Amino acid sequence: MSLQRFILKRAVSVIPIMFGVSVITFGLFHLTPGDPVTQLVALNPDVSAAEEAALRERWGLSGPVWEQYLTWISNVLVGDFGQELRTGREVSAIVWRRLPETIALGLFGWAFALVIAIPAGIYAAVNKDQLGDTVSRFVALSGISIPNFWLGLMLILIFSLYLGLFPVLPPSRQPLYHPDMLWYLILPGITIGTASAASIMRVMRTSMTEELNKEYVTAARAKGLPERTVILKHVLRNSLISVVTLAATLTASIVAGSVVVEVVFNWPGLGREFINAINQREINVVMAITLFTGFFVILANLVADIVYAALDPRIRYD
Amino acid sequence: MPSRHEESGDSRTINRRNVLTTIGAAGAVGLAGCGDQSGSGDGGSGDGSSDDGSGGDGLFPLQVQLEVNADNSDRVQMVELIAESMEQTEYFETQIETYEWNTYVGRVLDPEYQNNGYVPCIGLSGTFNPESFCNALHHSDNVGACCNLNGINDSELDELMDSARYGQEVAQDNALRAERYDEVWNYLAEERYSSITHFDLATSVSNTDVHGFEMWPFQEGMYSYNMFAPQDEQIMWIDRDTAAGDSELSDLVEGGTLSIAVGANIESFDPPHSSDTTSTLAQNFLFEGLVANDTEGNIYPWLAESYELLDTTGIDRTAYADYMSTVGTTEDGIVDTDEQIIVQHPEDNPAEDDEVRVLLPDDAVEAAEDGTYGMHYRYSLQEGVEFHNGDEMTAEDVVATYEYYENSQLAPQTFDSVLTAVEVDEYTVDVYAQIADAEAERELPGILVLNANQLAEIEKGSLDPREDNVPIGTGPYEFAEFEDEQYYEVTKSDSYWVEQQGVAEAFSWFDGSDAFPDGPVIDGFEVEIVPDDSTRSGALQNGEIDSTYGLNSSTLDDFDSSEDYLVYGVETGGYEYIQYPVNVEPFDDPRLRQAINHLIPRQAIVENVLNGYGRPAWTDLPELAQGSGTADYDALEDEIRPTNEYDPERAAELLEEIAAEN
Repeated sequence: MSLQRFILKRAVSVIPIMFGVSVITFGLFHLTPGDPVTQLVALNPDVSAAEEAALRERWGLSGPVWEQYLTWISNVLVGDFGQELRTGREVSAIVWRRLPETIALGLFGWAFALVIAIPAGIYAAVNKDQLGDTVSRFVALSGISIPNFWLGLMLILIFSLYLGLFPVLPPSRQPLYHPDMLWYLILPGITIGTASAASIMRVMRTSMTEELNKEYVTAARAKGLPERTVILKHVLRNSLISVVTLAATLTASIVAGSVVVEVVFNWPGLGREFINAINQREINVVMAITLFTGFFVILANLVADIVYAALDPRIRYD
Repeated sequence: MPSRHEESGDSRTINRRNVLTTIGAAGAVGLAGCGDQSGSGDGGSGDGSSDDGSGGDGLFPLQVQLEVNADNSDRVQMVELIAESMEQTEYFETQIETYEWNTYVGRVLDPEYQNNGYVPCIGLSGTFNPESFCNALHHSDNVGACCNLNGINDSELDELMDSARYGQEVAQDNALRAERYDEVWNYLAEERYSSITHFDLATSVSNTDVHGFEMWPFQEGMYSYNMFAPQDEQIMWIDRDTAAGDSELSDLVEGGTLSIAVGANIESFDPPHSSDTTSTLAQNFLFEGLVANDTEGNIYPWLAESYELLDTTGIDRTAYADYMSTVGTTEDGIVDTDEQIIVQHPEDNPAEDDEVRVLLPDDAVEAAEDGTYGMHYRYSLQEGVEFHNGDEMTAEDVVATYEYYENSQLAPQTFDSVLTAVEVDEYTVDVYAQIADAEAERELPGILVLNANQLAEIEKGSLDPREDNVPIGTGPYEFAEFEDEQYYEVTKSDSYWVEQQGVAEAFSWFDGSDAFPDGPVIDGFEVEIVPDDSTRSGALQNGEIDSTYGLNSSTLDDFDSSEDYLVYGVETGGYEYIQYPVNVEPFDDPRLRQAINHLIPRQAIVENVLNGYGRPAWTDLPELAQGSGTADYDALEDEIRPTNEYDPERAAELLEEIAAEN
């Protein structure tokens, strides 16, 4: 099968997946108690039951769930993600405005993870069972275990409050594309990337160790190639396949992590918007962000599949 | 506030043995939610102490289920303390059920809830209106609504409460009103249908650059009130060189920008289309009302130079029947109209009838012009008040504003009392109340005056920079910048009318010192939007902001013990209560309710659970609403406090009495 056909096939398979994601999210959302109307007026003695019912009707929340879903999905299919119920603002505008913030943060965190994890993994594999390996494994285990919000707060405590290197609040008046913003991405980026870095490092180490025991390595060494060439040119390339798979799946955890990290570092991205929307039961916003991130994760996996071929020409898409 | 917890709707049982015993013993408070998940009550086994309860017969020990929402850990701890206190008498076996917030609200607002015999605990926010501390909890109209949870239906009490607010006499006589409220509090102390445990304190923290700050009863007025409130001679300024402490007016420094952080995004700058605290806080910089309040809730004319009550009648809402339009209803029982329903005929029910009679805005004008109204107030507007765009404020703006409030988020509150507003001449507006109502003086002018020219051009609800509309008001600050979810800025208006006229000239009631400035002295406010409490607190410690609010009590203690920060706390009308299932035996016996009330350790709750940031509810009326809620606050407290004291001996006597009768 050609690469084009493969991509086409995968692209088509996105449709049922997205459909499933939307049904599940919509259903789960309606299983949670409360709706935007109760959030708004629950304990307001001035609002009568009739006024509450009228509001529910106006916001399209009065019919059965399946009916609400059908209305919603048929609008989405023509590109209309609806409005935020309380304010009537366009949901797609909200998502587009927040998206660059989260992408910047995610990319930075992801790059940080790769830059740290790959050399560390190589180092650990080459020096297997020595002190350096043990230390890096310990650090990796800690990295996976430490919760994001705690790490974030500790970084703020040390680097902002004690050392004064960073402000607690990122400069809200600076546009995101300003080069200065790179500096303010460092702490949240580290926070969001640490857990991923730890997982990638561990996988890198394992697959590298495995490769190092293979016959072609012995052959290469016997041929008299310098160790550097053996490791970087041959072994690294072969061990990267599993890392690419992992890095793709980790986009999901980076997206999830952004929810917490954006709140702690006051980063005005999608994650923070998502939390707000859930708390206020703004279903259209929740659905749009879910669909969007779902799509993004699927896309990342597709890219990973394509990268396989570049890394290992033996891989065929069939 | 919406709940942050998104647990499933299942309830969780806290085993009482897991709650630390704290009553009487020194200090420590049980950790909320530390209970195991075993689900079943412990039945007393292994406890040893409660086996031979003094009652000994059928009624005691009485099984009591207390209910609370799980996301509010302070509230859960409070209920644990109350339950433990009850257990210690050995007359009660308690069980605490916790629920996710939305589940809980749906559960307790269900009209059938009263038949369960549970004791729910919930928090509400009150206002300057004393009614908000008795009516919502006890009036039979509020069964199945907010927040008469256990179906209290006492016609004598209903009548007492109604007579303290509604009626021709009481609407014109504040002393009579205060007397009647005193009767309400005494009646409630006797019957004890509910126990208010404490009044919340709202807090804020500032660095010592901020001078003259005194927290206002309501958070949403906090900064705007502080920058310029001639009613209380309150003015805020910034002095980065001298630390605030005993600063006086003569030390006042002009200029500077104050940087604050708020805990939520601005939902909207459009006054009637938002009701959250941060939005109101932002609007208060830009807009002003016809009247203003001082910290005790006394009313002062503001954009209205003066106002007077011209007439009061004794009509009820059926009197509008002649002016009403007949409108159909939908299958779901909703009145089928796009217009604001000012009054719905009390005898019609949209859930059952195909048609209902309703008073629509045009009908209301007609009724008022014919002399059918409850009260008739006349407001004379200040002349020479300029909007930020240079338009002069006139009666037209005020009338247009009332119209703009129709069908808005605030419409239920506004048209609870307002019948209509009518322009008399350029600087005179008549505002009519639906029925004679003692609260009308405060409720009727409860709008922020908007610009009629602007309202004519925009869609309802879009008075917001996100919709490309710059909010235009008459306030001391003008809108400058806003970045959604990030920050907004307001800068001092060059043409603020009070400053132009001079404070003594603008307000005939002003009797403050000559040194009091004619307008706010701070040049501008930079407001950062920072949802996370610890991030806000960090930014304050790092000197990135001057002031913030809504931090938790342990953080406040840290700031309080530092010389570089000032912590302010004030009663905002928020309160918490438990309510007894009066329709289920044996709770129909007032002695049982009084006994439990005596077992509520109000002082311990405030000290141990709230770290002192609260005030025990020795009466049902907070200081905030004392203005119209009592003839003499101290006398009221002397009288009622003994019935609300923690007094296990008195409780035991009462319980013994009940046990003996059974």
